[in-house]
Amino acid sequence: MSEAARNNGTVDLPILSEAECRQILERAHAFARGGGETAVSIKSWWQGELRWARNRASLASDRRNIEVTVHRNPGGGGGAEVTTNQIDDAALESAVRAAEWITLRRARPNDPSFVPKVRAYSRPPSAPIWSDATIGLDTNARAEIVRRMIAPAEAAGLYSAGYLEVRAVATATYTTAYRDLLLGEYSSVEAPYIRWTQAQCSTTVRDTTGMGSGWAGLSSYDWERIGSQCDALAERAIQKCRASRNPVALEPGRYTVILEPQAVADLMEVFMASLYRERPESRMDRVGGPWRLAFDEATQMYVTKLGLKVVDERITIEHDPMDPRLGIIMSPLERPGPVTWIEKGVLKRLGHGINKAIDELDGVNGLHTLRRGTAYRMSGGETSLEEMIRTTRRGLLVTRFSNVKELDNKSLLVTGLTRDGLWLIENGEITKAVKNFRFTESPLFMLNNIEQLGEPVPVFRPTKKEDGELTPAIVPPIKARDFSFTSLADVV
Amino acid sequence: MSLSRRDLLKITIKAGAGAAVLSGIPGPLLAQLGAALPEPGQTIRDLAVKELALRAIEAARDAGANYVDVRLTHTRQRHVGTHDMRDVEELVVGVRSLVNGYWGFAASRLWTPDEMARLGRESVAQARALAIGPVREVDLAAAPAPVDEHWTMPVELDPLEDVSVDEVSDILDGIEYFVRVHPAFRLLPGSPSAHFVVQDKAFASSEGAYCTQRLYRTQGRVELELRTREASFARGLDTITPAGKGWEYFKRQPLREQIARLMEEMEAEAKLPVKPVEVGRYKVVCDARTIVNLAAPTLGVATQLDRALGYEANSGGTSYLNDPLNMLGSFEAGSSLLTLTANRSEPGGAATVQWDDEGVRPDDFTIVHEGVLQDFQTTRESAAWLADTYTKASRAVRSHGCAAAPTAVEVPITHTPNLRIAPGKEALDFDDLVAGLGEGLAVKDMKVDIDYQGLNGLGQGNVYEVKNGKRVARIMGAGFLFRAPQLWKGLVALGGEGSLRRFGVESSKGEPEQVTYHTVTAPPAVFEEFTVIDPKRKA
Repeated sequence: MSEAARNNGTVDLPILSEAECRQILERAHAFARGGGETAVSIKSWWQGELRWARNRASLASDRRNIEVTVHRNPGGGGGAEVTTNQIDDAALESAVRAAEWITLRRARPNDPSFVPKVRAYSRPPSAPIWSDATIGLDTNARAEIVRRMIAPAEAAGLYSAGYLEVRAVATATYTTAYRDLLLGEYSSVEAPYIRWTQAQCSTTVRDTTGMGSGWAGLSSYDWERIGSQCDALAERAIQKCRASRNPVALEPGRYTVILEPQAVADLMEVFMASLYRERPESRMDRVGGPWRLAFDEATQMYVTKLGLKVVDERITIEHDPMDPRLGIIMSPLERPGPVTWIEKGVLKRLGHGINKAIDELDGVNGLHTLRRGTAYRMSGGETSLEEMIRTTRRGLLVTRFSNVKELDNKSLLVTGLTRDGLWLIENGEITKAVKNFRFTESPLFMLNNIEQLGEPVPVFRPTKKEDGELTPAIVPPIKARDFSFTSLADVV
Repeated sequence: MSLSRRDLLKITIKAGAGAAVLSGIPGPLLAQLGAALPEPGQTIRDLAVKELALRAIEAARDAGANYVDVRLTHTRQRHVGTHDMRDVEELVVGVRSLVNGYWGFAASRLWTPDEMARLGRESVAQARALAIGPVREVDLAAAPAPVDEHWTMPVELDPLEDVSVDEVSDILDGIEYFVRVHPAFRLLPGSPSAHFVVQDKAFASSEGAYCTQRLYRTQGRVELELRTREASFARGLDTITPAGKGWEYFKRQPLREQIARLMEEMEAEAKLPVKPVEVGRYKVVCDARTIVNLAAPTLGVATQLDRALGYEANSGGTSYLNDPLNMLGSFEAGSSLLTLTANRSEPGGAATVQWDDEGVRPDDFTIVHEGVLQDFQTTRESAAWLADTYTKASRAVRSHGCAAAPTAVEVPITHTPNLRIAPGKEALDFDDLVAGLGEGLAVKDMKVDIDYQGLNGLGQGNVYEVKNGKRVARIMGAGFLFRAPQLWKGLVALGGEGSLRRFGVESSKGEPEQVTYHTVTAPPAVFEEFTVIDPKRKA
C-alpha cells in the first residue's frame, strides 16, 4: 500500500478502509509493553461543503480527518484513553506509551465481567447506508446545483442562503482481547468496521428588507434522493418567503394548527429522546420522564406505562432497519428487525441501556431498543395539506419550529419559536401571513389532540458533527387542536 | 528532508524524559520535520513548519489563487476526572484560497510537503468551481503582515509540562473528599473535573505574513447538589469557567474556600421559604453572571457583522441589528449606562491572541458607547463592507481581528471576542444593589434562551423575592421575558469596579458548526422593568 494511500485513506476513498483500521490495531498492539490487551476506536470522515448567502456562494470546502483512540488493558472500566489523529509508527507508539501510562494511574481494576462475551459479532442487517452518489458528488456538481438554486431567488429580487454537504464516515473498534475465545464468541467492546454517507441540502430565502423568510431542506444517506428535489426545495423556500411578507400580529392563545412534517419532527425530538432516556431498570437516571410510574422494590425496576394508551390510536411510531429510507448504523448488540415504540397509540417499548441489552441475551443479542430515537417512521393518514386547510375554520399553518427547549421532562413540555412561515387560515383559506410566535406545548398533548393526519414524508434531520451517525425520520403533517402559542416574537 | 522514525523517537523520548514523567505524553508529535531536532515546546517555531506553510501557498498561487492563507495547528488536550482521564492530540492544516471573489478551503491531517501542495491546489479547485458563477467582489481590508513573529500566551504554569497528572488528580480527589465530608451535599456526575488545551499554531499568507503562537485554555467543573428536608437544588462553582490561563488557574485559587462558601450560600438559601412565581412586571437586580448571559447573545452574537448581513441566515439566524451600515452611530442599543467594549488582548481572556486567524493584530474596540451602537465584529472581508461608514466617520478601515478557526481543519469565520461591560461609578456590589432595590426580585445565574435574531429571550435562573432590601424567599418557576433593545434601555444601575466578574462563555456558530470560547466581564446590574411569567403555563 502506498504511503499516500496509507496516510490518507485508500487511493479511491478519502476515508480509511477496513484493512487499514485492522492494521492500526495490529501496529498499536505491536508497540504495547507490559502485557495486557490493546483496543483502538477509529473514526475517519470526509466532507464536501458549500455555503451560500445573499445569492452568492461564500465558501466551498473539502475537509477530512481521523481520530484514533487507544486503550491499553481495555475492559478495566473507567476512561484511560489517548486519542491521536496521526497513525505513523512514531505517533502510534507514543500514543500507546501514553495510554499505558494513563491506565496505570487512572483506570479502575481490570474486571473481566465488565466486558461480557456475546455470541454474535456482526451488525444486524440494515437497509443501505452507503451511497456512491453521495461521495461522488464532486465540487463542480455541487456548485452547479447551488447556482441553480440561487438563480430563481435572485431573479425574484430575494436573497438566497443555504448549505449543501456530502459526507462519508467509517468507524471501527477492535481489540486484541478475547482472541482465543471459542468460535463464535467475541468481545462486546468491539464494533465491526462500518461506513456510511450523509447528504444534506437546505435553503433559506429572505426578503431583502428582512420582512419575510422561507425555508426548505432535505437530508438522506443517498444524494440521489435529494438531488432531484433541489429545484423544488428552492421553489418552496421562495414561495414561502413571498407569502410570509408583511405579517400581522395575532393574539397569543390556543389555536388549531396544521403542522407541516418538519414542524412535527422538530416537536418530536424531545419525545423520541424520552423513549430511551427513561430506562425502567435504572435508578441512576436522574431525569424523570413521562413514562415511569413508581419504583417497585420487588423487581428493582420502575413500573411504567408500557401497555397503556398514551397517544391517539392513529399514531404508530416504529423503525424498520430494512426500510430503504431508514437505514442506520446498527449496534452489534442490537436485536435485528423492526421495533415498534408506539402501536396504535399504545406504548410498546422503552429504551434499555447497554447492560440490560447484554443481560437479555436469550439466544439473540440484546433488545432492539439500543436504537433509541435514532430513526423512526410515524404513521399518518390520507388527508392532504390542501384538504386540511380547506376543512379548517380558523387555524395556523406552521412551517417549522426553532430553538426548541425542554421545560418539563415529566410532561415533555417544550418551548420554542415558529420560523420561516406562519399563516392564518380562515374559513378554509390562507388569508394572512402572521408574525412568529413563541409556543409552549408538549408533543404528548399534541398527539392526543389530533384532528387529521397526512402522508408521512422524509424530513430534514441530519447530524451536525463530522462523524455523526444517520438519523432519518419519516413524519406526517398533523392538524391538531388547542396548540398553545404564548407570546409574540416579532422576528423573521 | 524528513526525520527518520528513530530520530523522531529520540525527540519524543528526550522531550519526554523530563516531560513524559510529568505530562504523560511525550513532546509534540510531528509526522515529518526538518533535519534539526527541535527543542521541546518550540516545534511550531521550527523552520520546517514555515516551509510547509509556504509550500501550500506556493501551490495555491501556481494554481491561480489571488490570495491564500494557511493555518497549521497542533492541539493537545487533557481531561482529568476523578475516575477517568483522556489525552487528545491533533495535528491539522487548512488552506484557504480566494479566486475571483470566491473562497475555497481544503484541510486535512498531514503535515507533509506533498499534502501541502495537494491542499493548495484543492483549495483553488474548490474556489474555481464557484468562480464560474456570477461576479463577486471581495476586498480584504488592509492589515500589516507580521513577519516571522512568535507569541506565547503568558501563563504561569503550563498545564501539560509544569504540573503532573498526579498533582491535578490530588486536587480533584481533595475536592471530592471535601464534599463527601458534608453529608447533605453531593457532587454531580462528571464533576469535579479539569480540562486543559494547549495549541500551537502557525499562520502564513500570500501577503508575506508568517507568525506562530502558543495559546492556552483551562477550565473545570465543580457542581454540587444539596438535599435537605426543605429543598433540593444544584449550583456550580463559577470561578473555573474557560479562561486563557494555565494550571495556575486552579492552583492559585482557594478552591476549597470557594466551595465552602458556595455550600454556606446554598444552605442559607435552602432555609428561605419557597414561593411560586406571580406574573407581572418587576424591578430586578441581576448578578454579574446573569448580565454576562444576557449580553452574550443580545450584544455579542448580535453584533457579528457577517450574521447581521445574513451570512448565518440558514443556520443560527440573523440579527435584530439588521441595517448595520445605517445603524452605526445612531441605533440606541441600551440606556446611557451601557458601554460595551471588545478585545482579544486581556490577560487570561479565553479569546485572547496576538494575531487572529487571518494574521490580523486585533484591536480593542467599542461596540456600544453610552447606549449607542458604535461598531460590529469584523474580519478583513467584512470590515471592507463598512468602508464608507468608517471613512465618513474618519475611522480606519480595518478588521477588528475577530476571525477565528478553533483548529486548522476548520475555516476561519467571525467569532465573538472578549467582551467587557463597563461598571458604574459607585462602589456597589450585588448585595448593595439588592439593598437599594427595596422591593422587587433578584436573580442569579440566569440562563437565557434567545430567538434566531437575538431579539426575544426567555431567562430562567435562581430567583429571590426582595423585601426591605433583603432576599427573603426563593421564587420557583419564574421566567423572564425580554426584548433586547427594551431590556438594555431599562438598565438603571450598575455595580462598581469591584463588583466586576469574569466568565468564560462557550459559543457555537456556522455550518458546519464551530465551537469557540470568549470571556465576558460584567458587573451586577438593575433593570427597571422585567416581565416575569410562568414559562410552563400554556396559553
